[in-house]
Amino acid sequence: MSRKKKTVTTSTGVEVRHKPLGLRIKNNIGYYVMFLPVLIFIIIIYYWPMLGIRYAFYDYKPVGEPAFVGFDHFTKMFSTDAFWTAFKNTLELSIMKLIITTFTAVIVSVFLNEMGNLFAKKTLQTIIYLPHFMSWAVVASIFSLFLSPSSTGLVNGLLRDWGILAEDAQNIYFLAEPAWWRPIFYIINIWKETGWGTIIFLATLSGINPELYEAADIDGATRLQKMRYVTLPALANTIITVLILNLAKVMNMFESVFVLYNNAVYSVSDVISTYIYRQTFAIALPNYGYSTAVGLFKSLVGCFLVLVCNWASKKTRGRGIV
Amino acid sequence: MAKAKTAYRKPKNRIHLFDVINYIVFIIVGLAVLVPIWKVVVDSFNAVGVYQFRLWPSDFTLDGYRTIIETQALYRPFINSVVTTVLGTLLGLVLSTLGGYVLIQFDMPGRNFFAYVLLFTMIFSGGMIPEYLVMKQLGLVNSMWVLVVKHGINVYNLVLMRNFFEGIPGSLYEAAKIDGCSPMGIFFKIVLPLSKAALASIGLMFAVTVWNDYSTVKIYITDPDQTNFQYKLRNMIMDGDTPTTSYAVSQNTLYYAGIVAAILPFMLLYPFLQKYFVKGVNIGAVKE
Repeated sequence: MSRKKKTVTTSTGVEVRHKPLGLRIKNNIGYYVMFLPVLIFIIIIYYWPMLGIRYAFYDYKPVGEPAFVGFDHFTKMFSTDAFWTAFKNTLELSIMKLIITTFTAVIVSVFLNEMGNLFAKKTLQTIIYLPHFMSWAVVASIFSLFLSPSSTGLVNGLLRDWGILAEDAQNIYFLAEPAWWRPIFYIINIWKETGWGTIIFLATLSGINPELYEAADIDGATRLQKMRYVTLPALANTIITVLILNLAKVMNMFESVFVLYNNAVYSVSDVISTYIYRQTFAIALPNYGYSTAVGLFKSLVGCFLVLVCNWASKKTRGRGIV
Repeated sequence: MAKAKTAYRKPKNRIHLFDVINYIVFIIVGLAVLVPIWKVVVDSFNAVGVYQFRLWPSDFTLDGYRTIIETQALYRPFINSVVTTVLGTLLGLVLSTLGGYVLIQFDMPGRNFFAYVLLFTMIFSGGMIPEYLVMKQLGLVNSMWVLVVKHGINVYNLVLMRNFFEGIPGSLYEAAKIDGCSPMGIFFKIVLPLSKAALASIGLMFAVTVWNDYSTVKIYITDPDQTNFQYKLRNMIMDGDTPTTSYAVSQNTLYYAGIVAAILPFMLLYPFLQKYFVKGVNIGAVKE
């Protein structure tokens, strides 16, 4: 290697000769020291647990030594119905949720963009961002009180008042009813996340060149036509970006389901993470090996999705997501 | 040009049907968000539990809040929530500013390696159980410090911080270096003072995450003295784990008062901090 040809470009754009490695390390010693705490936490929180993945191939119970069992946990997992239900639910719930909340966010942003009165616009933005800051535990508590079958449940009371629920009918236990659980889950997600989802779309909309609207005016376009032919196409890229970014995370669904589900609705609500949780913390004799194996499966699918989305992102917008 | 513009603009003072519909849509959207929150607040002041939505408490009482304040079982969780939120936010800010700052040192050998070490964690993880076993070995199971440690490092926020630092003109760093400023000196004297907005928005993200966390507590903590307020509240309302039965207050009043107490800190700060939250999202969206 010929050292004299190596140059680096500083942030000001000046080309300088590459200094020897030893000297560069010495010059940057301060930065290494600064990075040390970050590295320590990264290793403890992220990399150390990765060593524990080996337990996916062991029988590991709270008492006794781990014993190697090969692929037994995977065989068991793939022949367990509850696992497949959880896997299917994870994909269905998160993809549906993603599509629905993105759709509502786009609609709300497009209309917000048309709002001429700036004060009204700001006020509404303030209001619709609000639920995002409530925890899932709080949101679940609020809605379970509203949907409760007791005499103080808002929804059942109103249904009765409006005559939708017959006089002699029993109150509906919405959150324990498989037919109701998913629609309610989506509605709660819409309520909580739509407003927050509009931020990114509004940022895009504020960047649209006003001349496009003027040109449309000259062509005699109506408000609706302008929304359809100027505003929405401008959002297309952002919508794809949001979908791709979030598609990479579909396997992570946990807390929102965890706080809302119960054993009456496992068939429609149980996701991989909640399944892992119950297999470990809610049974008498957990096998950490088995739950680690399920977790490994989840991580691998998640990893695959990230790579696919990264590839899709590079194709559509010229840069990756990670 | 200006003349041509006005010539084609529709008269301003005409009320369009579209605007009317737009306002109606937005009143509905706004109400859909506010009505549930308003009901929670009203019912927290209402002595009897009613299902109806009322604009004002029909039977005003402060007993719900009195009970929340007087119930000792809620003291520890509340204090734990405050302590973990403050410390978690501080740790989070320290680590993400340090990491973000080091990642823009393009002259530093190994910078790319460090970046990959960080990015890989966003692609692959050990999973819930291996993480649990590590925390167990560290003695953090059944300790509220698990909240601080787990949320203190967040690669996504670290990358946001790096993106923000990248926007600071490089000539400032060069000038400081030429003046003999050390890496730490540049960090404290130039980078941090220029990053107040980013610190505020990312700090808020950490604070919200730690304060709102429920599942970490549920997984790692069984000792009632180490739980946080969200956990206690959710258990009380959804699992019927009511801390007391000796107060003359309806269950509903108590529940709703608890919910208000849990969301109050951020709701009070929110109108003032909204712009920082929004800024945080946009730092991520625009550059990333």
